[in-house]
Formats: sequence, C-alpha cells, structure tokens
Amino acid sequence: MQLAALLPIRPVTYLGQVLIAAASGAAGRWTFRAKDLGQVVADCSARAVPIVTVVNVLVGAILAFVGAVQLIKFGAGIYVADGVAIAVAREMAAIITAVVMAGRTGAAFAAEIATMQANEEVDALEVLGLDAIDFLVVPRVFAMLTMMPLLFIYAVITGLFGGMVVASGMLNVSTAAYIDRVADALSWAHLGLGLAKAFVFGALIGLVGCYCGLYAKRNAAGVGVATTSAVVVAIVGIIVLDAVFAVCANALDI
Amino acid sequence: MTLLAVDQLEMRFGDRLIQTGISFKIEKGTIFAVMGGSGCGKSTLLKHLVGLLPPASGRVTYQGVDYWASDDAQRAKLRAGFGMLFQSAALWSSMTILENVCLPLEQHTTLDAAARERRAREALEWVALAEFAHFFPADLSGGMKKRAGLARAIAAQPPLLFLDEPSAGLDPISSKRLDDLVLEIRERTGAAVVFVSHELPSLFAIADDGIFFDADSKHPIAHGSPSALRDTAEHPTVRAFLRREEPPAPQTAAGGTSNNAQSTPP
Repeated sequence: MQLAALLPIRPVTYLGQVLIAAASGAAGRWTFRAKDLGQVVADCSARAVPIVTVVNVLVGAILAFVGAVQLIKFGAGIYVADGVAIAVAREMAAIITAVVMAGRTGAAFAAEIATMQANEEVDALEVLGLDAIDFLVVPRVFAMLTMMPLLFIYAVITGLFGGMVVASGMLNVSTAAYIDRVADALSWAHLGLGLAKAFVFGALIGLVGCYCGLYAKRNAAGVGVATTSAVVVAIVGIIVLDAVFAVCANALDI
Repeated sequence: MTLLAVDQLEMRFGDRLIQTGISFKIEKGTIFAVMGGSGCGKSTLLKHLVGLLPPASGRVTYQGVDYWASDDAQRAKLRAGFGMLFQSAALWSSMTILENVCLPLEQHTTLDAAARERRAREALEWVALAEFAHFFPADLSGGMKKRAGLARAIAAQPPLLFLDEPSAGLDPISSKRLDDLVLEIRERTGAAVVFVSHELPSLFAIADDGIFFDADSKHPIAHGSPSALRDTAEHPTVRAFLRREEPPAPQTAAGGTSNNAQSTPP
C-alpha cells in the first residue's frame, strides 16, 4: 500500500491551509472582520467564565476532599494544599477547562459553521473571494489559542480557592497556612506545563470544532453529527495529548 | 460583447454524468435562463460558472479568460465581476442586512467606510429594504431575504449576475416584483443576468435567451428564449415544460413507450 493512501489527506490539507492563512494574517493580510473576532474572543473568554468558575472550584474542592481523607490518617492534613496546588496546576485546571470549552465553544464553532454550510453561507463567502479558512477558521482558532491560557490561569486560581474552602472547613487549615503551602509547592515548572497544555488544547479545540463544521454534510443531520464529532474528537484528543505531555514531562524531569 | 462563454462543459458527480455538451455565450445586457426539470443540473451549472465547483471538462471563459485554467489571483479578479443570489439567499446570519450588503463592497471596491455604507443603503433602497438595514436575516421573511440577497449581489455593480431560483417560494406578487427588479437592474447597470428558474411567468417575462437541460438524455436539448421555445420548440419535453402539458412518456429499450400514453416523436 502506498504511504499517501494511509495519510488523512483532508485533515492534513486543512491544517496546512490554516497555518498558511495564519501566517498571512500575521503578515497583516487578514480578511476577517475585527467585530467578528471580538465576538469570538468574548465567547471564548468572558462568556465562559461562569461555567469555568463553577467546574474548577468544585474540582479543587473534590481534590482537597479526597486528599484530606487520606492525609488526615497520617496527621499530614496541611499537605492537602500541596496536593491541590500541584494537581490543579499540572493537570486538572488545563484538562477540565479544555473539556468544558470543547463542549461549549468547540461545539458552538462546529454547529455555527456547519449551519453556514447548510445555508450556502460559506459558498457565498467563496463567491465573494473570501476564503472560509481565512474568514471563519483563523479568528476562532486564534481566539481559542489566546484565551485558553488566560482561562487556565483563572481556573488555577478558582481551583485553589475550592481546595482552600475544603481545607479550612474540614481540616481547620488557616487561609494563611494554605496559601503559604501552595506558594511553597507550586513551581514555575508546574504552571508552565499547565500553561503549555492550555495553549495546545486551545488550538486543538478551535481546529477540531471548525474542521467538523467546515466538512459537515449540508443538512440538519450534518449539523448534529458535526457538533457531536467536534466534542468527542476534541475530548479524546485532549486526553491523548495530555498523555503525551505526561510522557514528555517525565522525560524532561519537569 | 461576450461576457461569458461556456464551451463543451461536462458536469459529473463522481462517476455519475449530470450533463454534457453544454455550450452557450452570454452578451452584455442579456438575461439568460437555465431551464429544465428538477435535478437536471441547473444549480450545479451555476456552481461551475461562479467557481465553486470545477467542471469535469470544458471551458468557462469570462471576456476571453478561462476561469478554471487561471491562477488564484486571476480568479479573484474575475470573481470581482460576479454577483450571486443563492436559492436560499445565503445571507450571513451573524451580520445585519446592511453589513451583508457592505461586505462585497469592502472586498471588491476601494470605497471608504462611509461611501460603502452609502452605496449599500442605495442598494437596499432599490430593493425596498432601506428600513430593514439593521435587521438580522433571521428577522426577515423569505421574500425579503431574497431581495436582501439581490441587494448584496448588485451592491458592487458587477457586470454579471447569477440568480439561483430567485422567485422560488415567493407569492406571485413578490415574484413579479423580483422580476421587475431584475429588469430594472439590467436597465440601470447594463449587467448580464444568468438565472435558474422553474417559474414559467418569470421565464417568459424576463429572459431573452436560454438553454434547456434534459435529465434523461443528459445534454441540452434546446437553446433560445423561453417564449420562442414555448411556441416553436420541436422537442416534446421542452414543449411540455414550457406549456405545462403532460410530459411525453419515456422511451423503453424496445423502442416503445413505458405506458399507453401517446408519445410525440421529437
């Protein structure tokens, strides 16, 4: 069998087109409207804050609770802060935020672009000489790339807050002691790793959501399939990439 | 002056032949109808003409330039000369009607923002939608969407307009208004119009020339203005279509007809 037959030609072509369009945009030749970019950025950031807050506070609290149950047995309850800080910064904030964004924003990208395909809106752009990749995909991927790291930082803070609530409630750890332990446990390496993940997950969610929308079948069922695929592929991709990050971090001793 | 020439175009979906041997020319100011039964490839032809779908073979030339043999830069230049009204209007749903009409001007002209808005408002006034400029497409009726789509197509005053079923789904009065608009656009801008339609009153009212596709034989079976074809066409399918008569019975392999109806030889 020829090697070319094994390659997923369409996704690879799509990725190449997005990279070329992004490079062209970086050189100042973008075709999307600033207003559209603003709306997508707001969707990927401010409008996602409530759900990101709720989920990450709860995850921080759950981590603290699980840790507390075990650590109390050894009289080491204060170290719950270390466990929450490292788990949130290295893993949970990035993964949980990415999963929420895949279900919320990635699905919205897929549904919106698939509906545009079904309504011939993408054809109308092409007839006008506007490339769908430039006009629809680049601003969405750019927004996810830039907003995910910010959401990650926010998710870390809210996760730590959730852990603090449980630590002070269950273990009577003072706020000052909790913050002191967190500051001691958290290193730039942990935060850097989480930040790198958030950046990569953001790109993945944006790319997958737009891809599923752009290549959807032109009917109502196609919109549904595109939306489901965008969420499933993005979540599976996030887990796979996280595993790759874990291996790399271990190899690099991070 | 020939604006558009189609030469021996063949349309396929994968291995399935849709139509072959399509050739015609469109002069400046001509309103050209693409006719035929449902599923015979009329809308697909428009996609080949506006650059959305490459044909299986044949040439599409705009003022002598072969579209499908051109590079991207040349195609972009040629596309600046098109305006297209899609069957579903295909207005960009995230934009207001005014923004929809402004975008082609932004893309194809060097006008500043104020001039673009002025021009877009003129186009909307022309189609009687000036007061709906800040509405979103979802807030408009089907007929209004079609008119907004027409305003978007004509805003940059392209020499060539493509209209895909402009009157489909409209009531007779809205349909008549749209026909009058098309005639007025031709009058005022001198644009040539290629339109796909099933609506007989529209075909007879506005088309000067046309081509008729046959889904069975998979090639064009008549050329000419719809009213002339109605009166003089020899092919029974064309006559039946344009006179709203019972269609001829399809021929069987044995040479007879598939039912007991009388067939008229072409």
